[in-house]
Amino acid sequence: MIDSFLAVFKISLKAIFANKMRAALTSLGIIIGVAAVITVLAVGSATKKSIADRFSNMGTNIIFLRQPWDLDESISSPKDVTMDDVVAIREVEGVSAAAPYIQTSFDVKYKNTSVSLSALATDTDIFKAYDWSVDKGRSFTEKEIASYAQVMVIGATAAQTIFGDVDPLNKTVVLSNIPFTVVGVTKKTGSSGFGFNIDEGALIPYTTGKVKLNSGWQSSNRRALDRVVIKVEDFNKIENTKVDIQNTVRNTHHIHPLGKDDFQLDDFASFVEQAKSTATTMSLFLGIIGAVSLIVGGIGVMNIMLVSVTERTREIGIRMAIGATSWNIRLQFLVESVTLSCMGGLIGIVLGVIFTLFVAKYMSLSAQLSVWAIVVSAGFSAATGIFFGYYPAYKASKLTPIDALRYE
Amino acid sequence: MSLIDTRDLYKIYQVGDVEVKALNGVSIAIEKGEFVAVMGPSGSGKSTFMNILGCLDKPTCGTYILDGIDVTATDLSKLAGVRNRKIGFVFQGFNLIKRTTAIENVELPMIYNHTPAAQRHKKAMEALEAVGLAQRAYHLPNQLSGGQQQRVAIARSLVCDAPIIFADEPTGNLDTKMSIEVMDLFTRLNKEMGKTIILITHEPDIAQYATRLIKFKDGQKMSDEIQTPTAAKPASMEGL
Repeated sequence: MIDSFLAVFKISLKAIFANKMRAALTSLGIIIGVAAVITVLAVGSATKKSIADRFSNMGTNIIFLRQPWDLDESISSPKDVTMDDVVAIREVEGVSAAAPYIQTSFDVKYKNTSVSLSALATDTDIFKAYDWSVDKGRSFTEKEIASYAQVMVIGATAAQTIFGDVDPLNKTVVLSNIPFTVVGVTKKTGSSGFGFNIDEGALIPYTTGKVKLNSGWQSSNRRALDRVVIKVEDFNKIENTKVDIQNTVRNTHHIHPLGKDDFQLDDFASFVEQAKSTATTMSLFLGIIGAVSLIVGGIGVMNIMLVSVTERTREIGIRMAIGATSWNIRLQFLVESVTLSCMGGLIGIVLGVIFTLFVAKYMSLSAQLSVWAIVVSAGFSAATGIFFGYYPAYKASKLTPIDALRYE
Repeated sequence: MSLIDTRDLYKIYQVGDVEVKALNGVSIAIEKGEFVAVMGPSGSGKSTFMNILGCLDKPTCGTYILDGIDVTATDLSKLAGVRNRKIGFVFQGFNLIKRTTAIENVELPMIYNHTPAAQRHKKAMEALEAVGLAQRAYHLPNQLSGGQQQRVAIARSLVCDAPIIFADEPTGNLDTKMSIEVMDLFTRLNKEMGKTIILITHEPDIAQYATRLIKFKDGQKMSDEIQTPTAAKPASMEGL
């Protein structure tokens, strides 16, 4: 039985290779289809991952607390976001870090160099919130924060720009005529946070920034912060934690139970989801185009198989005369079309992988070759062979031996 | 019981409004080991008769018993096995499969009865030896002469040990010398291997090889005679 199947397989291969050009052209549709499906799915999932990565650098489990820019006019005396909120939020269950955040741009002078720099006035919780770390030197101390110390932790790229090869530690730079001592350099992150790139920026104590540089939120309140960066422990519980934070802040702001919030909490979860679903829709759409070309390729296979059946009617007659059953004939043509489409599928997979690696290289996406896509396209090309080969094979098997033998 | 037994075979085609009786009540019995030549002008029904005997076609009515099997009661699709085991075909146009070597052509019937590959090869080689073509086993049909191709086809008809060989104008595409070769081979198969041979021809010289001559006309059996076979005479060769 297996012997016979092998023999049928050999017959099919022989028939395919007898017409190499035709086989190649027929497979082309399948090749392009499979290659397209694999490439599109791989690039699609790479894009999705790259979006997810970018947001997780920025922090998908980050919540911002700030006063709304378009504050509801019905709120008579809105409270600023202050350190009181930060302190209270740190006590909320599920919050792993809460840091004050005041961002300003300064010209930083060192000797003859003057560089425009984004400075973040904050405290040490910012390191926890954004997973930053100090590479050289140290962060600022509680004492320095409390005493409005003129100290600075500088980003790796910024340090390179300003100091070149000179060790930045304990050097003095001038921000708005106020000298700051560099106490640390952060480790390069290679990616930008939301609105603030630590690599090219600097950190100063929020107290110093607020009081001595008079930066931040245009409020008469000298304690007002731009915002509070809050990191939650568990992304999946972000909604619950957000409610707890909301209640806590309402409490520190002494808002009446029926009163409206004078603050807002933003998180990226919904934004990320939307970006991901856009990417999914996009790759689905492109995947459908790939699938359509697979179907078109399948029709090509069917077309050629029909031609082949007609061409080989006499051969079918001979085979039937010497004892081939309809099933044998059907099997022969099915094996032929499946072989044809699977060869196309195989070449398509190889091409798809090459394309993906190529695209990944030149679009600086991490190649996300999905085994799933490869398995599915291999299966799909075999299925194409069966589906589109069935009718021609059926047609061949339905010939009567005498009609087939008489066919000229 | 006869090897082949047909009773009142009719084959009626409907061509437009006209009924064409290709076979008009044919009853013939053929015993095992006979060498029968069937002759008749074209349109006489001899080919239709042959196709029915070869289980390639079914009669409109009548019965046909082949080696104890009631073929007329068997579904056409189930007749593939009957053809494979009982019948070997030799055609005018050789009907070898192109792009396939001689031995592969000879092996083909055994693929359809699931003979293991090693045995397939052995039997095919034996059959090719029997027709004197063992040294051409790996040639393609188009690398062989007509006579050689026909001998490959004969080898193919032998491999399944079928008791009957149907030869439809086997010398129609061959010159005299090759025809003689092929007909001598049929005679040998008949005498030495005991094969029942049924031969369709329109050449009297070729029919001379048979031990029985049946003539057809207008879908009916005209005559049915036992004859003493005589080999093709040199005189008739000169005439061609």
